[in-house]
Amino acid sequence: MGQVYFEDVNTGDEIPQLRKNCSTQQLVLWAAGSGDFYQIHYDKDFAQSTGLKGLIVHGALKNAFLGQLLHDWAGEAGSLRKFGCAYRGMDEPDQDIICRGVITKKYSEGGEHFIELDVWTEKPDGTKTSPGTALVTLPGRG
Amino acid sequence: MAEVFEITDEVKAQFGVETAPWVYEVTTTSVRMYARGIGSTDPIHYDVDFAKSQGFRSIVAPLGYVGTPAFSPETNDATFGFPRRQGGARLNLPMKGLLDGGTETEYFDYICAGDTLVETSHLADVKVKGNMVFVTNESVFKNQATGQVVAKQRLTSIHLG
Repeated sequence: MGQVYFEDVNTGDEIPQLRKNCSTQQLVLWAAGSGDFYQIHYDKDFAQSTGLKGLIVHGALKNAFLGQLLHDWAGEAGSLRKFGCAYRGMDEPDQDIICRGVITKKYSEGGEHFIELDVWTEKPDGTKTSPGTALVTLPGRG
Repeated sequence: MAEVFEITDEVKAQFGVETAPWVYEVTTTSVRMYARGIGSTDPIHYDVDFAKSQGFRSIVAPLGYVGTPAFSPETNDATFGFPRRQGGARLNLPMKGLLDGGTETEYFDYICAGDTLVETSHLADVKVKGNMVFVTNESVFKNQATGQVVAKQRLTSIHLG
């Protein structure tokens, strides 16, 4: 993906989607990477003993997926200033998690070019599971 | 019905009380492992020479990495990995289950392997809804070498009673 510039984007534009599908192996890799070894993410019996239907994807992993979505889109000359999401719904392993973002505002201030976005993860049926917002800077062509 | 957690004056008095500073080493190995966990293939998270060619000090930590602990059995929780910080709030929260509630991070600089971060945090909010207790902590991360604030983060956890 080439560098995206401030002048090339408009309010309402959707940024390129990032599609994830977590195997249980990836959940274990994430546990090792993040240090979070809570058993609801890799031990089905344990997960069910807490009242869950089965294993669930770490909320912070979905946050990191949205970070990757924004990082990949903004490119090396862009930067992410603020970003967050709430974990409103659970995602399961071996099910697509579609990471999406839509531009809600663009403006320039103090010589920098800012983009505000709504970002979220969604299930294949369109249910949003991790809605959030982001503030990104992009380079200008000038 | 009794609440699963009561926000007493004693609880309210703990809002804003800072923990002792906590030190995080950002290593090449931990940055690579985190990037691998996400499934990222961007060499900026793996290849030191490439990262330097792009103007960075070393490989760049993926967004979301900040707060990933350096583990010690003496000081960190065996399951969740987070540090048992000295000072700060002490709440007797229900623990029938624990879920992530949300993460919000403000970035002021890139975080790269070789950095050492110093974090302080405090209890920012507690809300009770039914059998769920929403606990939000705010953390500030500074680069130890420069003293610069590199990130501020709000983490919400949901304790089930």
